[in-house]
Amino acid sequence: MSRSAKGIAALLVLLLAGSAAFLLLRPKGEGQVARITLNGKVVQEIDLSRVEQPYTLTLEGPGGFSNTITVEKGRICVSKAGCPDQICVHQGYISDGTTPIVCLPNKLIIEIIGGGSGLDAATG
Amino acid sequence: MKQRLTALILLCALLTGCAAAGKGEQPLTATVLAMDTVMNFTLYGGGMGEEQLRQALSGAEDTLRQLDTALTAQGAEGEAAALNAADGAWTAVPQSGALLKQTLELAELTGGALDPTAYAAVKAWGFADGNYTVPNREELDALKAAIDYARVEVSQDGAQARLAPEQQLDFGATAKGYAGDLLRRQLEQGGITSALLDLGQSSIAAVGSKPDGSPWRIGIQDPAADSGVYLGVLELSGRSMGTSGSYQRYFEQDGVRYCHIIDPATASPARSGLAGVTVVADSCLLCDGLSTALFVMGLEEGVRFWRENSSLGFDVIFITDAGEIFVTSGLKDSFSLADREEREVQVLE
Repeated sequence: MSRSAKGIAALLVLLLAGSAAFLLLRPKGEGQVARITLNGKVVQEIDLSRVEQPYTLTLEGPGGFSNTITVEKGRICVSKAGCPDQICVHQGYISDGTTPIVCLPNKLIIEIIGGGSGLDAATG
Repeated sequence: MKQRLTALILLCALLTGCAAAGKGEQPLTATVLAMDTVMNFTLYGGGMGEEQLRQALSGAEDTLRQLDTALTAQGAEGEAAALNAADGAWTAVPQSGALLKQTLELAELTGGALDPTAYAAVKAWGFADGNYTVPNREELDALKAAIDYARVEVSQDGAQARLAPEQQLDFGATAKGYAGDLLRRQLEQGGITSALLDLGQSSIAAVGSKPDGSPWRIGIQDPAADSGVYLGVLELSGRSMGTSGSYQRYFEQDGVRYCHIIDPATASPARSGLAGVTVVADSCLLCDGLSTALFVMGLEEGVRFWRENSSLGFDVIFITDAGEIFVTSGLKDSFSLADREEREVQVLE
């Protein structure tokens, strides 16, 4: 192989490596982030993939009561709520962006952004 | 040699470029709180400019809010609320007349398994405000006596209606479906060819398919599992689906679970042996109303209804309390079980 051919081959290897790196390393959006919205305002965003120890947080909403949210690695739920219907509590944990948790009486929405379930919507 | 190398280099560049383009067009999305639920709209513009797409989305949101205000049985401006407060007098229903007519037609078609006049019972059980109670026998008898869609009158032009004095009506089982049909038409007229309208999970309307031509993929919630655990996936293109289930809105008292779907025949929460029903059809209103009616009917009667009304062009997924899955033949190819599922799907012919 001539020198120039070697040079081109080296360049090619570099290009291939570049392509591969781009394909493999480009952001896949797998940072599973829970976005908590209260009364239309984002109050907190939690990267669920980085939660080491489960913990809870309690939010007061415009409905005049509170929702206690349990945060674990990879999933989140409303574990306790003062709302009369308890729909948000019944819903249990969510771990992907298909179905948000909503407490209508308190105008609370917990949705997971980033990550993907491969679904566009879901029945509930 | 050089030519071959150039070709390889080009291939590398192409691969990189494809990867970048593979993410495809980003949709415009909106989350709207309306009709007592949270709705999600996803719109793709195709060749349309971003400004035009934004206008289409905000137009859809405006229509939805207007419908929400007009149709509710709770707010001060709601036409259902006005009907309920009229004590049997003729009442103007300029925005809900068409919906009322279609709802009454569905009520008749389903032999009253769907009945919009069950609202007094919905309220008595606490499903309107969350103050759950189990009414006593006398109360239930009075509630039952008031439920009868056939006593609702609508004027020829659909602009006015009246109930029997003791009746209370709401559009809980059809308003979202009606909105889905209306919004889809509005978007299509605005030139949108690819959009998904999720009107609170109970009603979903698809405009076309995804931009790459593949169908929308909708998860079917497993009634017995946590929210977000899907027993299967349904592929949807240009059609609608409606779901009624006993697993989200319910309360428990003395060890009995009472779900939010009222059986008009008993004025009490339906107990038909079904945990969830999903209907697929062109019309979102039909899906919405029929899913409620079939849930009330139960599996056996529901299957009979499906067989006898094939002219309506709908298909059904029935999930029983015991976890059995039945799918009507039209969904054979578009419904698939989740990978980990070991259950059998029984196809109804």
